[in-house]
Amino acid sequence: MNLILFRNVSKTYERETSPAVDNVSFAVRDGEMACLIGPSGCGKSTMLKLIAGLESPDTGTVDRPKKVSVSFQFGALFPWLSVFENVALGLRTAGKSGTQLERTVNAELDAMRIRELSHKYPGELSGGQRQRVGIARALAVDPQVLLLDEPFSALDPETTAELHDDVIAAWKRTKKTIVLVSHVIEEAVSMGERVILMKAGKIEAEFPIQLPYPRRENDGFHRDVMKIRAEFFKKNHPSV
Amino acid sequence: MFLTYPVSVRERLYSLLIGPLLVAAAIYLVVSLFQTEVAESGVATWHVLVEASFATLARITVAYILAVVVGIPLAILATHNRLLEKILLPVFDVLESVPILAFFPVVVVMFVRWDFMEGAAVSILFLSMLWNIVFTLVGGLKIIPQDIVNAARIFGLSGFAYVRRVLIPAVFPQLVIGSVLAVAQGWNLIIIAEALHTYIPHGNPSQDLFGIGSILVSAAANAHNTVFAEALVIMVLMIAVLNLFVWQRLITYSQRFRFD
Repeated sequence: MNLILFRNVSKTYERETSPAVDNVSFAVRDGEMACLIGPSGCGKSTMLKLIAGLESPDTGTVDRPKKVSVSFQFGALFPWLSVFENVALGLRTAGKSGTQLERTVNAELDAMRIRELSHKYPGELSGGQRQRVGIARALAVDPQVLLLDEPFSALDPETTAELHDDVIAAWKRTKKTIVLVSHVIEEAVSMGERVILMKAGKIEAEFPIQLPYPRRENDGFHRDVMKIRAEFFKKNHPSV
Repeated sequence: MFLTYPVSVRERLYSLLIGPLLVAAAIYLVVSLFQTEVAESGVATWHVLVEASFATLARITVAYILAVVVGIPLAILATHNRLLEKILLPVFDVLESVPILAFFPVVVVMFVRWDFMEGAAVSILFLSMLWNIVFTLVGGLKIIPQDIVNAARIFGLSGFAYVRRVLIPAVFPQLVIGSVLAVAQGWNLIIIAEALHTYIPHGNPSQDLFGIGSILVSAAANAHNTVFAEALVIMVLMIAVLNLFVWQRLITYSQRFRFD
């Protein structure tokens, strides 16, 4: 069953001449881990905003579930709230409180291995810890779809690898539908069941990845990476 | 940077005592040098001066609270969308540029008619503070990261909850800085705000409000050098204590609210 469905969706921002998303149709299955990749400005973040409901399409339709949550590129944590309160934010807005809230927040903090940081403030955290808080906050509201907007882009390779494993573990545990936006091909191959390549607002190609989890850099992994890379760097309109 | 909290003992002493005392001494010296006509002191005792300082502080506090209560919604309104921003910001800019004292005779006459002189003082202090608050808040509201706004939307914050739980905390550092500037502006205008009789047609000093500002004016006019210097020392010390125990602490605390 498709949980997200785009039908001929276009979106052009104010003061822009070319569309950020140009007549895109695509679907994401319930429980799927899909990765949107592409060069900067290709429209992948706009796709994420359309799924999140933060933007509306100019033309076409977007079918999306009501409960969509996002983990942002730099965490987007509220600096005046402790780690616990950041993770509790969506639950409090939804009217949850007391033991139930505490149990949910602590469970997410445990899953992201940051329980001991619950009283700290975002300014006291490393980049990786912030991302963990952002993911815990996004999962705490029990969304149907979790959107990850380049959450690993500013992290060192070791932290990135650890977080990849934690997100995959969370995905397997919760069976959530996850859409990850990235510009790193290796990351998309190590995480996604399907990699969707975007260029100039359009979906250029889709690549099913059939490697078993946890994915390690073996021959199969490199074959998929090379296949996507060839398409990624292929020039559609070579200069004359 | 002048807005950091003094941490060492020397810095604390300087902030609390040495700096203000040096300023007060310098003022006293200048007063003594240039005001040659020496009259009798004894118009005001220390007790009266301290009471007057607190009366002045109360006036400034009321005006400041009003400026914050009015300034926050004005700033939010002015940054709510592009159309409102285009309309309101130029209006605020003009209002801010008109000298406060140009309003004062009108304001005073109005409050004299109502026989409510405190209203005149508080109004002029409020007007002098308001734009400091509004413009620093506008600056703060415009630099809230888009991801923070999006996160608030994703997690269901809207309306008043969004204002209370996102916008106000997000601009808290700017609110503190704006408050420091606003209250400083209040202290600057206190003499004018309390010595009302100069703005009342055929006014006399009995129409002045009791406060440190009006005592300074009265002492200067009557060449009561000692009272003048004592009043200044109390005022400077009060400002120093407020700075050390309120503003500098708030500035330090507000760092937690800053976005990286």
